Amino acid sequence: MSDLDFLHARIAAGDADAFGQWLAGAEPRVRGSLASFARALDVEAVLQEALVRLWQVAPRFVPDGKPDALIRFAIRIARNLAVSELRRTRSRPVEPADLEADLAVDVPAPDPLLRQAIVDCRDKLPPKPRQALDARLAAAGSRDDDELAASVNMKLNTFLQNFTRARQLLAACLGKRGIVVEMP
Amino acid sequence: MSDTEPTDEGNDELIEQVAGAYRPRARDELRYHPAWHDLDEAGRERAYELARSLRTLEAALDPDGLSTTAHAVLARIR
Repeated sequence: MSDLDFLHARIAAGDADAFGQWLAGAEPRVRGSLASFARALDVEAVLQEALVRLWQVAPRFVPDGKPDALIRFAIRIARNLAVSELRRTRSRPVEPADLEADLAVDVPAPDPLLRQAIVDCRDKLPPKPRQALDARLAAAGSRDDDELAASVNMKLNTFLQNFTRARQLLAACLGKRGIVVEMP
Repeated sequence: MSDTEPTDEGNDELIEQVAGAYRPRARDELRYHPAWHDLDEAGRERAYELARSLRTLEAALDPDGLSTTAHAVLARIR
């Protein structure tokens, strides 16, 4: 994995575009570090809040000189937030050993060939599943599925079924190209 | 894992919603997706795994390589 710390100075100076560039590379690893909390917490909510907090404290962060200092810092923020949330909700604790193990989570960046294959497969989707997928992508987390369904004149369950079909078809298309995408 | 298989269509729809990046906006507190509370532990884990897979696809389809999670975070700080 490439070291994203070269972006820290710009992020600390308030450059949101630099933060976006950092997020593109760092998000999978921070999300992966929260896997052990998935049964007890809404990881998506914890992750988004942790990344916002990272942005807020980045100007005061001092890298330790080792690779991926900012990602490691983000993971610690996310893990601390998750542990606080577990305490608040009185869910079962996570063993300290797990905390250290998850700091070592590594996620390879998607390569250009994979990107192109996904785009090609997306372009082959039938109209309705494509419409549902595009609506989710365009909203980028800003609107709930009720709103998105209404925006494309579908009932909620129809919208969700079309979205499910879209990702299943994407996975099947990629599978034919020898690319395995886990779709639980 | 057989214990994470969906039990019915309604559960699948809940998982699909929770796996999305939308979360209600709030100040100084975590806001869970409302559907998350209706899932059992296996469903919550499945939603997490589904979200991981979806974010990879989303980032690949985005011109800047950003997932919907990244876009949601950037919208909060801009």
